[in-house]
Amino acid sequence: MATDKLEEIKTAVESRFGDSILSFDTKDGRIVLKVSAQASHEVLSLLKDLGFEHLSDVTGTDYIKDGEFEIAYHLWSHAKKIRAIQKIRISRESPVVKSIVDLWPGAQIHEREDHELFGIDFVGNPDLSPLFLEDWKEIPPFRKDFDTREYVKRRYYGD
Amino acid sequence: MSKLLPRPIRSKGDAAANSLWVINYFTACGFMELLPWVGSGYDMERFGILAVATPRHADVLIVAGYVTEKAVSRIKRIYDQMASPKYVMALGSCPMTGGMYWDSYSTVKRIDKYIPVDLWVLGCPPKPENIGHGIVMAMNAIKGGFGGH
Repeated sequence: MATDKLEEIKTAVESRFGDSILSFDTKDGRIVLKVSAQASHEVLSLLKDLGFEHLSDVTGTDYIKDGEFEIAYHLWSHAKKIRAIQKIRISRESPVVKSIVDLWPGAQIHEREDHELFGIDFVGNPDLSPLFLEDWKEIPPFRKDFDTREYVKRRYYGD
Repeated sequence: MSKLLPRPIRSKGDAAANSLWVINYFTACGFMELLPWVGSGYDMERFGILAVATPRHADVLIVAGYVTEKAVSRIKRIYDQMASPKYVMALGSCPMTGGMYWDSYSTVKRIDKYIPVDLWVLGCPPKPENIGHGIVMAMNAIKGGFGGH
């Protein structure tokens, strides 16, 4: 992996969003950058212009001790053959973030899934209706405070 | 020589048992073990078993693998479209007890709470031999007059 390519990207990102970039790591030819939630959309837009044209995944993680959700955008550059992962943190109480369907239309289904499993609201996503679950009345099941065992006992093994 | 001649059909059950048409609902590994029967290795067609494209042509519904909450409504819909007499075969531990998904929030634990099941085949997943054993048991039961639903 050419390090100068990574340095080039680092310079381009940090020169424009100096304060919003919380950390910028390169590991095993991957870029992992942590960004403040406000600047997330613009940084992704810049990364897309820098050649990361493929969005692989949008994933969520529940850090319940910090009271935050982490959203990770997994990007891939076909030309540079570099993977970039952008991570943002949003509060668990009001999990609202701007949708990126205007940058990658394929993000729609990923955001819809994250909305269903974590309850994160993606503003601007045209369809956040339930994807896998039907008639779900509990809190979103991938949240750490959702007690799967208790739910299963009540739902399936009760009298 | 007489063994090579076609056997006369003795009863309605005999005819039904030798022409079981199957609609499959595959969700998981159960189907991987059923595949040898579709191919020439175990060759289900020598028993007159055919895989059909629509539930309206099918006599047997095979549920192979775990069933999610969302899938169970589809399975019910397939089952309702089948013409009587119809039979249901469930493959593996998952439709029986939930199997390894016994504490999953999204899979149903017992498929027979939703549709009647006539034959359970044990295994996680069941081996092709177990499935063949089940098929022969089902054929014998139908020959013996078991009418399904």
